[in-house]
Amino acid sequence: MRFQRISKAVAVGAALALALSACAPGGQNATPSESSPAASSGKFSVEPANTGLADLGDITTKDDSVSYSVGAEDFISYNGLTPESYSTYNSAITDRLFASFYYFGTDGKVYPNEDLGKYEVVSEDPMTIKYTINPEAKWSDGTDITVADAVLAWGVQNTNLADGKKPLFNSVSQDLGQTIPKGPEGDAAGKEFTVTYANPDPDYAIQTMIYSPAHVVAKQAGMSTEEMVDAIRSGDSAALKKAASFWNTGWNTSPGKLPAADLIPVSGPYKLGSWEAGQSVTLVANENYYGTPAATKELVIRFAAPDTMVQALQNSDIDVIEPQATVDTLAQLTALGDSVQIHQGDTLTWEHLDFNFAKGALFSDNLELRKAFAMCVPRQQIVDNLIKPLNPEAEVMNAREVFPFQDSYDDVVAAAYAGQYDNVDIEGAKKILETEGVDKPKVRIGYSAPNPRRAEEVAMIKSSCDQAGFEVVDAGNADFFAPGGTMERGDYEVALFAWAGSGQITSGENIYGTDKPQNYGQYSNTEVDAAWERLTTTLDTNVHAEETKKIEKLLWDDLFGIPVFAHPGLGASAADVLNVRKTATQNGLVWNAEQWVRAE
Amino acid sequence: MLRFILRRLGASIGILFAASLLLYVLVINSGDPLAELRESNAENRENLMQRRIEFMNLDMPWYQRYWTWLVGVGKCFALQCDLGTSRQGVEVSALLGLAASSTLRLVLLATVLAAILGIAIGVLTAVRQYSGLDYGVTFLTFMFFSLPVFWAAVLLKEYLAIGYNDWMEDPAFSVPQIAAIAVLVGFLMQVFLGGTPRRRIATFAVAAAFVAIVIPYLTWLNFFRFPQLGFGGVLVLGLGVALSGTAMSVGLRNTKVLYPALATVALGAIVYFASFGLLENPNWFVLAIGAVLAVVIPALLGKYLGGHLAVPAMGVGIATGIVMAGLTTLDHIFRAWPGFLALKPRPIATIGSQTPNFVGTFWEDFLDKGTQLLLPTILLAIISLASYSRYTRSSMLEVGQQDYIRTARSKGLSERTVIFRHAFRNAMIPIATIAAFDFAGLIGGAVITESVFGWKGMGELFRTGLMQVDPAPVMAFFLVTGTAAVLFNMLADIFYAILDPRIRV
Repeated sequence: MRFQRISKAVAVGAALALALSACAPGGQNATPSESSPAASSGKFSVEPANTGLADLGDITTKDDSVSYSVGAEDFISYNGLTPESYSTYNSAITDRLFASFYYFGTDGKVYPNEDLGKYEVVSEDPMTIKYTINPEAKWSDGTDITVADAVLAWGVQNTNLADGKKPLFNSVSQDLGQTIPKGPEGDAAGKEFTVTYANPDPDYAIQTMIYSPAHVVAKQAGMSTEEMVDAIRSGDSAALKKAASFWNTGWNTSPGKLPAADLIPVSGPYKLGSWEAGQSVTLVANENYYGTPAATKELVIRFAAPDTMVQALQNSDIDVIEPQATVDTLAQLTALGDSVQIHQGDTLTWEHLDFNFAKGALFSDNLELRKAFAMCVPRQQIVDNLIKPLNPEAEVMNAREVFPFQDSYDDVVAAAYAGQYDNVDIEGAKKILETEGVDKPKVRIGYSAPNPRRAEEVAMIKSSCDQAGFEVVDAGNADFFAPGGTMERGDYEVALFAWAGSGQITSGENIYGTDKPQNYGQYSNTEVDAAWERLTTTLDTNVHAEETKKIEKLLWDDLFGIPVFAHPGLGASAADVLNVRKTATQNGLVWNAEQWVRAE
Repeated sequence: MLRFILRRLGASIGILFAASLLLYVLVINSGDPLAELRESNAENRENLMQRRIEFMNLDMPWYQRYWTWLVGVGKCFALQCDLGTSRQGVEVSALLGLAASSTLRLVLLATVLAAILGIAIGVLTAVRQYSGLDYGVTFLTFMFFSLPVFWAAVLLKEYLAIGYNDWMEDPAFSVPQIAAIAVLVGFLMQVFLGGTPRRRIATFAVAAAFVAIVIPYLTWLNFFRFPQLGFGGVLVLGLGVALSGTAMSVGLRNTKVLYPALATVALGAIVYFASFGLLENPNWFVLAIGAVLAVVIPALLGKYLGGHLAVPAMGVGIATGIVMAGLTTLDHIFRAWPGFLALKPRPIATIGSQTPNFVGTFWEDFLDKGTQLLLPTILLAIISLASYSRYTRSSMLEVGQQDYIRTARSKGLSERTVIFRHAFRNAMIPIATIAAFDFAGLIGGAVITESVFGWKGMGELFRTGLMQVDPAPVMAFFLVTGTAAVLFNMLADIFYAILDPRIRV
């Protein structure tokens, strides 16, 4: 009974309160919705002329913020070149901070970055490169970028500087002491230096010649920049201990705390602004940048799990995303209609079937059997069913060292491959099996499981090749690549995996050369070895092109393996952010982030 | 009791130690820490592998790695914990601190809400056993319980974040929408209030009519973009609480209770204006002091003005004080809302624990963090509603059949006294155990919720560590959750003893 009375009292009270407090509607009269956004003319403010960066001309930095996410992994360190911090996620941030002499175009082509400076080959024997740093180039704290910075970059990659057996500097790359024995030569305070290679290196253009600020490292080590340069050049490891210890760990801070501002000057278009642990890092345009300034003042790198990205884009929490490239993600993005731009295309990672050439393996000494297997692999069907839904322009890949989206692809394929395995030829394969006199050979296709796409590929190969008389077995398992795993034991006939293209000209040698570390199937062909030898010892791009054709032809004729397709990539960006541009390289959409700008 | 606790403690430490050894060995054998490097064809691959082997001590035998870790943890006794570094070279103790604070923020509110709501639902369904309400609520809680978190999170984001934000741009309801909401609210009200069919129909009609009038009115006010409560609202609602509180406890005629309650309302009205400037941009310290005063002053008023009715006077006074203080705070939050919308036009984000680089007043910042917390809290709370409500319900029903309840009824005690004084208190004993376990479990983080909403909490720490076959973060996770489990287990036992005199030794 009482309860009733009270609820009535409360109800009356509530109504009264509403009436009393609400004298007039709040705010202005109905806020008019913004005028409809002017239809932006396209995705670019300036159409790019080639696969490199578009020339935005004379632009001023817009006071705005654009956000990007590549994954949930937190920022680790300003120094992105230690093995611990070196990752796609950390590089998405550090690559914005440090200018380099080169960058990769959207097709993996190497372009010089003339903001920082120029380089040219001045002698082929011994191979000598002359670098000229832009006279205007300065660190964001005003210190000139000089040869001393190059000497430091060389020093950290030089294992001759060591404490006992352990290299002083904990760096991801450690071979410059051998490849460039004398290091950068030139006045340490000047802007010009030369480096002389012990052996010709066609990949000289993508050497990291400037990275960390030498003046900061020297100061922290309690020495002058000149003293540090002298110590590095003379190999005085003892004098460098403090410098190395700072370089190794001095920039590592606990999550959410950036090192002191004077420790983290930058040479690139963005500098570190703030860091919210586990959430985001905000990059702020470097107002002292000497090249084309960043188009947008703030670039927020958010740490979002890939499966949350599409909704975050839809809700404008993130402007540019790189979710997982799956058909489901694509469907979700397509459903968002005109409010997003979808960036589809090939990447520099390619899937292939490699034969096992180890002694005693089914295919090792039998080219005819390899041919029979190649005849029955339904490559077109695999591409049509599994890849085209994600990238309508995908095609069967017929080369190993060049990709379908690269200029030289048609040329190389024309010279190396006659189209003999374009169509599935069950009858042909059957005939070979009969002539060879093998009955139902067991073909174990190994891959690193679980991987649904590869499982489907194997199922398609099985349904086709079993008709030809093979007995295909899905041998995918979790420890395929692990030590003591299937691959190391050689318990497979065909391996199905992918290589990620590195942009290097010479990296294939490690895969196809006799006894090279990545030649997992123990393939050996002296002609191939010789061709690589010729390719890696010259700077002549014509020779590179010719030898690549020869190598490709040899690998096709000898059937090292069967290339299948280039992995599809997927990214998306809000419709109003201009200049977001897909790249095949592993740098991801963020590669040209300094050009992103929101349309007016 | 002390001996019992000490014995439990000793056993717990032994268990923790053995479990840590087991977990360590399992983690380092759970995969290949070099996996992603093995499939890389970078030129410096061998070097990267070598560096990682050295950095993670992969070349040591398992017992040596475990010992290294244990020695580091042992230093905790000297107050300089060394929990090692993650594979990325980040101090695990720093990671752990961040993860723990983020998880606590995420799960604390959700757990408390789930417990309060769940217990309330449990009591209600027990009192109205086998009614439509009972079946309906049981159905709903079980449905929530079995929701796949990931899917539910996506739905919440779709409707409560993206949908709400779109709606917020120009908040309006169409006539069918208003009608549907009115019918729904009316239906729910009659289900909850119950009674004879005639009463139900009346409840339905009143509630539906109320909604049908209020929604267009609020829309006209542009309440959703410019919410307002104002002094009038605070005063009237405060008065309502004071009057209904008095009526509920001793009756309105009893001035010994009524006067202190009214005095509290008057004081609250003065404080509303006096604190206006202070509360426009306060800090947590000011708010905490305010909250304490809102309890202490009415309590003192009740104690000294209440005479022989001091206890109910204090109760009503405190309730009024808290409500007035809460409404005053809410009024300021309402006032901050338009400014907040200007800073963050889409108020509810789908990811993150805060908006990057958000700079605003105290209330704007509060709203930013609050809106970010909203979706995960709703999700976590509705999922754990079921266990609380079901346990409470069955516990209440069991207690309801006890002899002393019948005795209480036959003494002529009111149903409310029987349920709350006699049945509810006893029914809470097993719930205390469940709550303790639940809380210990929640510190372990809500792995999926965290990842879906972009919070880096304990679950994320564990998951990432395990994925990278990196023992240090996993073990740090274990240290905290394992200790919490053991500790809360013990606390539950002690609570049990306090709540239930029968098992006191």
